[in-house]
Amino acid sequence: MLGAHVLAVVCTGAAAGLGVWQYDAWQATRAAEAVDLTQGDPVPLLDVMGPDDPFPGDQVGQPVSFAGTWVPQGTVFVSGREHDGRDGFWVVTPLTTGGPDDPAVPVVRGWTDVPADAPPAPRGTGEVQAILQPSEGTGAFDEDPLDDVFPQLRIADQVQRIDADLFSAYAVLDTAAAGTNTGADGLAVASVEQLPAPGQFTALRNLLYAVEWWFFGAFALFIWWRFVTEEAESHAPQESNFASIS
Amino acid sequence: MTLFNSYRWLALVVGVLLAVCALVAAPAKYLAADGSGLQGFGEDLSVLWLIHGWIFMVYVVVAFLLSRRADWSLTFTLVALAAGLVPLLIFYVERQVVAKVRAEAPDLTEPQPYEAPS
Repeated sequence: MLGAHVLAVVCTGAAAGLGVWQYDAWQATRAAEAVDLTQGDPVPLLDVMGPDDPFPGDQVGQPVSFAGTWVPQGTVFVSGREHDGRDGFWVVTPLTTGGPDDPAVPVVRGWTDVPADAPPAPRGTGEVQAILQPSEGTGAFDEDPLDDVFPQLRIADQVQRIDADLFSAYAVLDTAAAGTNTGADGLAVASVEQLPAPGQFTALRNLLYAVEWWFFGAFALFIWWRFVTEEAESHAPQESNFASIS
Repeated sequence: MTLFNSYRWLALVVGVLLAVCALVAAPAKYLAADGSGLQGFGEDLSVLWLIHGWIFMVYVVVAFLLSRRADWSLTFTLVALAAGLVPLLIFYVERQVVAKVRAEAPDLTEPQPYEAPS
């Protein structure tokens, strides 16, 4: 009987603890995904990711620095971007991470309301400090795939426009380094999403595990309660028999 | 469907899922070389753990109801419940349960006729 009580307490405690562990993991993963890195110190781009690496999910908004050669013929405009409440375009020019043929990162140089008014793209070498962002994938439809205007900044779209290899990331010029950054002349500042909202399904698995564990904990308690009450019932008649005999 | 048949189906599904998770997904995830295709396959397959867990919840409830109807001892009930957590054990336990129910409470294997409240 004592063994049953101990077993019930251990099972319930273990299940509740495992549930809390999964619940914490759920919250921690979501918090990590939403952390604001943009105010941190810049690090060399290649310390964060290589040209063939997938985007490191915990590095959204990390300021990075790199230097290379501008690829002016790869300049594109990304529609649907706001600045001071006005709809306009991001102006994007790839910058390689070394010589002209090295892998490049599309750099958002700034914002303009009319693509035709944008200043000519920079040429030659450049050095920037910029906020690292993952390739977009909003599923937006490009009404005219042949022009220089895109509805989203998707690396797969940009790869087809230039000869250079591209990182699976883009970068937005960091206003904290406006004095040293090149390429932003004549353009308004492009604002960057600083805090990516954690996705609805982020770490959902952990939350579902937590619910599972708590269910099993509750069920262990239930079985224990049934066991105890049934034991009590099966003993009750015997006790009354003893009482009648004595 | 009778409670008995529900139990048998759930035991089969839980058993298969657990076997795949523990004997295929977990070794692929933890033993295969980092970054290999096999490891990625194991990672993808690991979502089955979650599905196993939720179906196991249903299994536990159904097995418990069956245990009350068939009047099993507490020990046998606990073994039947815990069998869904040990790979392959549930297939053996399911056979034991079927034999036990057929021997001790055969009416549970048939659909229950409707009894008018007296």
